[in-house]
Amino acid sequence: MVIINKIHITTSILLLFGIILNLIPLPEILASFRPPILMLILIYWSLAYPKQINLTYAFITGLIMDILLIYPLGFNALTYVITIYLILLYYPQIRLQSNWNKMFSLLIILIPYFLMCTMVNGLLKIDYNIYNVILSILISIIIWPLLFNMLRFIRQKYTS
Amino acid sequence: MLNNDLHFKENNLIFLKLVLFLSISITLLVLDKNLLISNKIRSNMSHLIEPIYKLAELPVNIYSKFSEYSHNKNQLIEENKRLRKKILVQSGLIQKIPSLKEENKRLKKLLDSQGSDKSSKILIAELIKINLSPFSNKIVINKGKNDNLFLGQTVIDSKGVLGQISELNNDFSIVTLITDPGHALLGINPRTDKKIVISGTGDNRILHAKFISLNEDVVEGDYLITSGLDNIFPEGYLIGEITKISRNKDEDFLSVKVSPSSSLSFNREVMLLW
Repeated sequence: MVIINKIHITTSILLLFGIILNLIPLPEILASFRPPILMLILIYWSLAYPKQINLTYAFITGLIMDILLIYPLGFNALTYVITIYLILLYYPQIRLQSNWNKMFSLLIILIPYFLMCTMVNGLLKIDYNIYNVILSILISIIIWPLLFNMLRFIRQKYTS
Repeated sequence: MLNNDLHFKENNLIFLKLVLFLSISITLLVLDKNLLISNKIRSNMSHLIEPIYKLAELPVNIYSKFSEYSHNKNQLIEENKRLRKKILVQSGLIQKIPSLKEENKRLKKLLDSQGSDKSSKILIAELIKINLSPFSNKIVINKGKNDNLFLGQTVIDSKGVLGQISELNNDFSIVTLITDPGHALLGINPRTDKKIVISGTGDNRILHAKFISLNEDVVEGDYLITSGLDNIFPEGYLIGEITKISRNKDEDFLSVKVSPSSSLSFNREVMLLW
């Protein structure tokens, strides 16, 4: 029970950190293809503890993101829930994969997320550059191993 | 066997949760535009949200503070000189305004038209520099209800119209820029006195001037100003300059691109008008 509490507390703190990271302004050139860090953090924790960090977390973090970043309400909640559902379906396979393989599965898992983002942008008649979207996917895959090791370090230190 | 059964049940539960959350979020997406739920949440929880914004802004603030300190004396003297010159030039220009006003009043009297001679008050607000979604054309400023702002208030910067306040909270408010795809305003071309609808595109370097008929007199380089007819933006503030006119025979109207004159992405301070 104590360990489960630890998991919840650590994850919540990290997610809050991720939200703030998402809010920090970047120069305009970088801002258009910033990787969805919060999404990646959420993916890591649901891979590590699929029983505890599940769809409820994804939904609530998504709503908080919507409110803070002035998205249409429910937009991030929708995309996060769908992505984390994919993780919950395939986590037994993904966990066993090698690092390179994990990057590839991450690509497959992130594609629906970006597709939905572009679709909603299209519905809201917002101009966007498709190259920026592709770059954003690539960057999130490139930083994944680094993020993975960092988060694993935190996980081993604070939740066991 | 038992284990498998449990796993199956759990999967079912997850699927149920998925359906539940998906339906909730889709309903929210549909309803939010009319019910403005997120606006209400933001205004009720503004005490919680503002610290988060402040926290996110912190690295940039620290950086700018640091770069302020790292200015050396010569640079500061140089800047001071430049600003003094600017003030001199501008106050020279301002000298002419009272006489122009008088002349304007006289001419309006001759034309028998009531001049709208509102005295305007200006409040300077600072941007809260946080990263909103890269495609949303909104900014957050650090003044709110407590400073007697109101919905739809005009926000300008030193070069032109920036946008209007679309959401009011106690300590911060959200400004929709004129480049937002859902935003349009009625401008006027002072050279020809023709009214032009100008709407945003989502790209903060381009505005679209809409519904200009093919034979209308517009030239690249024309300046557009606010008309004051939309009852939101006061009259006479600069919107932008026409940069590109393309005639397409298949379409009923000209496609006219306007580049906004306000520096939409490099602002630190904005002005609010009453």
